[in-house]
Amino acid sequence: MISSINPTIKAFAIFIPGILLSFTFDMFTPLVYFLFILIVTFTMSDIPFLKWLKIFSPFLLVALSFAWMTILYTNQTFSYGEVLFTLFGIEITRGSMITGISLALRSLCFVCLSILFALTTNSTKFMLSLMQQCKVPPKITYGILAGYRFLPMFREELQILRQAHRIRGFSRTKGLKGRWNQFRRYSIPLLANGIRKAERVAIAMESKGFTGDTDRTHYHEMDVSVRDWLFFTLIVGVFFITVAFSYSLGYLNIFGKQF
Amino acid sequence: MTKHWKLKEIVLMSILGVVFGIIYLAFFLVGQGIRNVLAPFGLAPFGYEIIFGIWFIVSIIAAYIIRKPGVAFTAELIAGVTEVLLGTAAGPGLILAAAIQGLGAELAFALTRWKDYRLRILILSGIFAAIFSFTWNLFSSGNIALAPTLLVAMLVVRVISGALLAGVLGKWLSDQLAKTGVLRGYALGKELQKKREKGAA
Repeated sequence: MISSINPTIKAFAIFIPGILLSFTFDMFTPLVYFLFILIVTFTMSDIPFLKWLKIFSPFLLVALSFAWMTILYTNQTFSYGEVLFTLFGIEITRGSMITGISLALRSLCFVCLSILFALTTNSTKFMLSLMQQCKVPPKITYGILAGYRFLPMFREELQILRQAHRIRGFSRTKGLKGRWNQFRRYSIPLLANGIRKAERVAIAMESKGFTGDTDRTHYHEMDVSVRDWLFFTLIVGVFFITVAFSYSLGYLNIFGKQF
Repeated sequence: MTKHWKLKEIVLMSILGVVFGIIYLAFFLVGQGIRNVLAPFGLAPFGYEIIFGIWFIVSIIAAYIIRKPGVAFTAELIAGVTEVLLGTAAGPGLILAAAIQGLGAELAFALTRWKDYRLRILILSGIFAAIFSFTWNLFSSGNIALAPTLLVAMLVVRVISGALLAGVLGKWLSDQLAKTGVLRGYALGKELQKKREKGAA
C-alpha cells in the first residue's frame, strides 16, 4: 500500500518523473506513463474510485483547454508535418496537433501523480520524515505543522467575522468597489488574527523547551526500508523504460527534436 | 540561514506560506475563469498571465515584514509545498516552480543586501519573480512550443502583473497589517513604531 511508503521517498519518486516529463513533446511517452500511474493508483493504493474521479475530472477540462490553446498557437519548431485543416485562418499541422495532445496528456500525468501523493500522505508524517531523512531544520517543519493546524481555525474565524458584520448591518455590497471593500474587511482581520496566533504559538513552543536544535530525539521514528526503495525504483524505473520504449519505436520527441 | 531566524519569524513565515498556498490554489480557478472569458476574443493564453503576480505575493509580504535573507524564497517554497500537499493540477513540479519564483523574488532583495525594502525594490522583486517563473514555464508547461510574438506579449503582461499584484498589493497588505499592531514584534512593525515616535516628537 502506498500510504505506508516513506513520504520523503514517495515525494522524490513522483518528483523525478514529474520534472522529466516536462522535456518530452510526443504523444506516446506521456500516454503510456499516464496509464501506468492509473494502474499504480488503483492497484497499490486504497483511494476510492469515485473520490479520485471527483478530484480528477475538473482537471480533464483544464487539460483539454490547454491542448486547444497549444494547437492554435504552436511555433515553427513544433508545427512540423502536413497541414491537417484550417481554422479561423490558422493552419493546424500534424506537429501542432501532436504537441497539443502531448501537453494535455502530460498535465494529466502531473494531476495523477499529485493526487496519488496528496491522498496517500499524512502531512504530519511528511514533515517528520523531511526532518529525519532530509535533515530539514525542526524549526521550519514544526512551524509548517503549526501553520497547518491553523487552517480549520481560519474557516471558523471567517464565519465569526461574517456574522459579526451581518449583525452590525454590513451587508454584501455590489460592484467592484464593494468587492474591494469586502476583501479589505475580511482579509486584514483574518491575517492579523493568524499572525497573533503565530506569535503565541512560537512563544508557547519556546517556553516549553523547544530550541529548534537539530540534535534531538523523535517519538515517531521514520525509517526507510527496502520496500520504499522498491517503490522508488518502480515509479522512476518505469518512466525510463517508457522513454526507452518510445525511443526504440521512434516516437520520442524532446523539445521538438525527433529521436 | 535558519540560525538568524527567530522561531516566531519562522512560524509567521510558515503560516503566511500555508495561507497563501490555499489562496494560490483558489486563484487557479480565477485564472481559468478569466481564461474562459477571454477565449472568445482569442486571448485565452493571457487568462493566467493577468493575475500571475498573485503567485509571487507571499515572497514579498514575508520579506517585507521579516526583512531577513532567505525569507522570500522559503515562504514561497512553503506555499508551493502546501499546494502540492492539497493537490494541484501543476503536479509535483510546482515545488520546483515555487523555488524558482522564490529565488527570483529573493534576488531583488539580495542585490540590496537585504537592507532596502522601499516600494521600488518590492516591485523589482515581483518583476524578477515574473521573469524567473516565465523562463521556467517555457519548459515546464511547454510554452516553448508557442509562437515567439505571443510569448513576448505574455512576458510583458506577466511582468506588469508581478509588479502590481505582487509588489504593490503585497506592500499594501503588509502595511495594513502593520497598522493593526500585530506586527509589533517584527521588523516592519518596529519601523512603523519608530516613525510614529518621530512623528510624535
